[in-house]
Amino acid sequence: MAVQSVPRTSEFQRSLRDSLPPALFLLPAAIVLVLFMGVPMVNAIILSFQSWNGMSPPVWAGLNNYATLFKDKLFLVALGNTAYFTIITVIFQSTIPLLIASLLNSGVRGSTVFRTLYFMPVIISLAISGLLWAMIYEPNFGVLNSTLRSIGLGGLAQLWLANRATVMPSVIIVSIWQSLGFYLVIYFAALQNIPRELYEAASIDGANAWQRFMNVTVPGLRPVIVLVIVLNTINGVKVFDQIWVMTAGGPNHASDTLGTYLYSMAFGAMGSSNPQFGYATSIAIVILLLSFILSIVQIRLGRRAELEE
Amino acid sequence: MTTTFSDHVTTRSPAASRLQFQIVFTRTLMYVVLLVIVVVEAFPLVWMLLTSVKNQREVFNSFLPTSLDFSNFPRVWAAMNLPIHLFNSLYVTTLTVFLTICVATLAGYAFARYRFPGRDWLFYIFIGAMMIPGQAILIPMFQFLKAIGLLNTLTGLSLSYLGGATAFAIFLMRAFFLSLPRELGDAARIDGANEFTVFWRVYLPLARPGIATIVIIQSLGTWNEFMFSTTFISSPELKTIQSALFQAVGRYSTDYTALSSGLILALVPIVTVYLILQRQFISGLTAGALKG
Repeated sequence: MAVQSVPRTSEFQRSLRDSLPPALFLLPAAIVLVLFMGVPMVNAIILSFQSWNGMSPPVWAGLNNYATLFKDKLFLVALGNTAYFTIITVIFQSTIPLLIASLLNSGVRGSTVFRTLYFMPVIISLAISGLLWAMIYEPNFGVLNSTLRSIGLGGLAQLWLANRATVMPSVIIVSIWQSLGFYLVIYFAALQNIPRELYEAASIDGANAWQRFMNVTVPGLRPVIVLVIVLNTINGVKVFDQIWVMTAGGPNHASDTLGTYLYSMAFGAMGSSNPQFGYATSIAIVILLLSFILSIVQIRLGRRAELEE
Repeated sequence: MTTTFSDHVTTRSPAASRLQFQIVFTRTLMYVVLLVIVVVEAFPLVWMLLTSVKNQREVFNSFLPTSLDFSNFPRVWAAMNLPIHLFNSLYVTTLTVFLTICVATLAGYAFARYRFPGRDWLFYIFIGAMMIPGQAILIPMFQFLKAIGLLNTLTGLSLSYLGGATAFAIFLMRAFFLSLPRELGDAARIDGANEFTVFWRVYLPLARPGIATIVIIQSLGTWNEFMFSTTFISSPELKTIQSALFQAVGRYSTDYTALSSGLILALVPIVTVYLILQRQFISGLTAGALKG
């Protein structure tokens, strides 16, 4: 017995010795991720089942927060606006950059210069571009209305960000403007990997530019298109910065998204008087679940479409 | 096909010249489309630039400034306390990027170069953290920073970024270390190097391009971050540049020359770095997205 246990111990010791270096290499990352991601995440889940104003101790609320969500008209408005923002940005921000990237890839001179220029808005923060566009949309002094007036289309001038009908399209345009260069560059990099011969073969078969695009480019880029759609969806579901800066969810919640609504629930537009941390966190969990579920579904659908080809 | 070709060589047949015209026309149209998009993408920035050099009276009258008035810049530089806010942003960015790289190179190396029980599921948990949106941890992080006395400090703000930043950086570093040959480390071990020396002296110097990618992605992300920096920092003198500008809007809401000068001055550092390193920026951010 004692003889047998000796090799077992040394084997154990050896495996311990072998996994010591990786364990030490991983230790700092594990500490950081547990402390600054794991613990807050667990706390968020707990908090979403509590009612808490930040002052008095939190009270267990069971599923109350989640049940309230579906009765809360403003939450449903924010959910609708988030869906609107996400669907429209996914459509435009995955197609327009692809079309322009294909144009750039069809033997245009100076494609590097074009890409550098298109990419400029990408490096600007969402907050600063929001401030900039708020100035552009400003009804009296903004360049948009003053241009419309000077070319005799003053009738089209709007209170862009203060009108319920125009506020969502206005913030969506900012998003399309800002992200164009980013997705374009992703598509462009992927386009380089499609062999030129495929396009030449298609031309010889008599395919016009549009047919080449639909039959060579799109199938060749399918994984990247799925990636861009997933990225756009995640960014749409959690959209906050630009909208908060431009409208803070207004006018009268017409541009409230899940992100801005939860933020005003927790911290208020101007320093909240009655913070609802538990309820706000349950909205954050909704954002988390939506982006998880939607991206998994999109990746699955993308794979299936690829298999069917 | 052959007839058209010989026609083209000998005399310009109507068919050939129509083809020629079509090609020239499509080419021209392509450039027109691309240039229109340049105008659309650049216009807001150009307008901001023009507004910043107008004098206050002509802002609302003309699109082009009648005279260049640079006096807005020094005025705003001092009035908005821009040096302090730029410094705050620089401090938070540097600290975050430095800590991220320390942590992520070590972990990425372990995932790429060692076999150990539970490696794969641990890796999935680590990169799963990438998927968590900032909103999910916003309120718990607020409470946590408050509890450890780091709320309303730049160091606390930097720490709040670490979770999301390291997850992504580990992912990129692992991919990078996997692309380096295994034999280099084995050779060094035969020469008697210990495990840390193999990492530090052999692999880390080769990982510079991977580290550069993380520096670019993470610097841009931290410098531009808005939600955490607005929420966790309340003292005016500790605000980062993003939230400081947001605060300034109220005060300067009718002073467009001042506001656009402020935005321009805030953009100068990042645009300068971009113009110097544009190739690395574009390829780094693309690689980040394609691998992530």
